[in-house]
Amino acid sequence: MKRINIKYQRFITLFGRLILGGVLLVAGGLKAFVPAEAASAVAAYKILPTQLAHIVGYALPWLEIAIGLLLIIGISLRMAAVIAGGIMLLFIAAIISVWARGMLIDCGCFGGGGAIDPSKAAEVHRKYALEIARDSGLALIALYLYFFPYGLLSVEKPTTAHEEI
Amino acid sequence: MSKQAKAKNGGDNFTRWLVIGMVALVVVTGVVFSMMSSSTKANESFAALKDYTLGEKVSGAIDTTQGSGLVLNPGGPVKIDLWEDPQCPICRTFEEANGQYIDELVRTKKATVVYHALSFLGDESVRAANALMCSADEGHYLDYHNALYIVQPALENSGFFTNENLIKIGDYIGLKSKSFTDCVSNGSKADVVKAQADSMPSFKVTGTPTVFINDKLWERTSNGFDPAEFRLAVEAG
Repeated sequence: MKRINIKYQRFITLFGRLILGGVLLVAGGLKAFVPAEAASAVAAYKILPTQLAHIVGYALPWLEIAIGLLLIIGISLRMAAVIAGGIMLLFIAAIISVWARGMLIDCGCFGGGGAIDPSKAAEVHRKYALEIARDSGLALIALYLYFFPYGLLSVEKPTTAHEEI
Repeated sequence: MSKQAKAKNGGDNFTRWLVIGMVALVVVTGVVFSMMSSSTKANESFAALKDYTLGEKVSGAIDTTQGSGLVLNPGGPVKIDLWEDPQCPICRTFEEANGQYIDELVRTKKATVVYHALSFLGDESVRAANALMCSADEGHYLDYHNALYIVQPALENSGFFTNENLIKIGDYIGLKSKSFTDCVSNGSKADVVKAQADSMPSFKVTGTPTVFINDKLWERTSNGFDPAEFRLAVEAG
């Protein structure tokens, strides 16, 4: 396993950067230009006081875009990976919190969002589970990138040839 | 590329702060852009009320046996219960699709409609629900209710439903009596609004919009509130 990782790490890292960065870029891009929708989607989680939720709703898409770009281009990869991982953990926590409180909402992950008709409870719960699984996967990619930030096609290069652990 | 790699060797800290600064700049610019675009939207919404003509008066009464709902046209052949929050965006979708038909049913006495103005989305919903109940006293619940959904901001609790703006909505549609404006600014209907909200569990209402036709839950099959589907359900009773 370790040998495989050493052999292919540069490719895995590139792949992980493209997936994580791509998802963030798309998710952010879809929300950034419908700010009212995004803000109201954050408010629908009913975790933050509404005024604060709106600010988060305005800011989050742009943060996602910025971090997505850093990951794809390959600048400050460690920091970008930490922030991306943090964002994913926040999303997971938010969905768990909503689920635990028995609320039915659309996560608004890629735009949209808000309350959902109660007759669709089973469907929504399955979606929550899928969303948690997806975000966990993305968080694991972020973790990998933290340990192995340097790969192919990256602006940023390791400072010494064998810095990778 | 090799140049950047070298630069990084030279000043690791500098690069990091530069990147953090740029990320912050993108986010701040984005937030400002987003805030500006949504505040112009809120002002535009009032303009939509300019040509509104007030309909004929319809009197209504609060029925405490029906969750303190506002009953319009009692004794009609069909009874429709509407549970809505003034801030709920899906209620607006419902109203856009079926509001006119429901108005017609009330005005032509083809149905009894019971409105439950819920307020679980926050203080602004409480204020808006209060104003709705005030408009009922003036006989213009249907008009004010329509207007409210026309101007409803996409953002919940964005600070739009202040008492001033709620009075302004009345002003635009021709509901300007002193009793109405006093009722709105004093929150005179707080008790009814609270009673309507508190009755949700006993009617098993967990979200909005919830519609009952002859006390039977209407289960829609399309998310777009297909008017034809609703009409059929009402006619079937």
